[in-house]
Amino acid sequence: MNLFRSEEHIARWLGAREPGATIPVLKLSRLAHAWWDDRLSPKWRPHTREQNQAVLDQLELTGGFWRLP
Amino acid sequence: MDAGDLELRNLTYAKVVELGRVPAAAEVAAAAGREHVDVIAGWRRLHHQHALVLNAATDEIRMANPFSGVPTAYRVHAAGRWWYANCAWDAFGICAALHVDGQIETSCPDSGEPLSIAVRGQRPDDEHLLFHCLVPAARWWDDIVFT
Repeated sequence: MNLFRSEEHIARWLGAREPGATIPVLKLSRLAHAWWDDRLSPKWRPHTREQNQAVLDQLELTGGFWRLP
Repeated sequence: MDAGDLELRNLTYAKVVELGRVPAAAEVAAAAGREHVDVIAGWRRLHHQHALVLNAATDEIRMANPFSGVPTAYRVHAAGRWWYANCAWDAFGICAALHVDGQIETSCPDSGEPLSIAVRGQRPDDEHLLFHCLVPAARWWDDIVFT
């Protein structure tokens, strides 16, 4: 899970490997804030799969690649 | 997750913030008034529930996501300290978890070009950068360190 300057850098880094998913860094920041916001709260409880999937869905991270087990 | 493990988990994360790094089992045992072996046993249960990640060889913490227990390519300055994140996602996650702005220092894995990103009000100051996730979500926990 890395940051890159451009699509060209990603393609070169991947080489022969199958690509995963690429999203803009602003969406990553939104994802991280939705995912980790409560991590240090004394009221933290384990997130269910459904809660985590909802975070992805709300950011339109949908399709098979973003489907949690 | 039972109440005892939840308490241990929350204490562990509180120690991360207090110390500015992941704690050793001995430090959490002392803070909790528990035996060292009890902390390790609790951490193993939390590991199996994906609430933290242990180093299998040492039973010490490898990841208290988004915080890393080892140096990584993702350094984050936030809340007056430098932290290590496990990946790009977790680098933003450290700002999110601490509820503060921050500065992420890393480099492009292809070119090695330094990348420095300020996070202000949950927004990166360079919105041209791209995030690549290689492993599909269904397989993230097959090998979370690789992911």
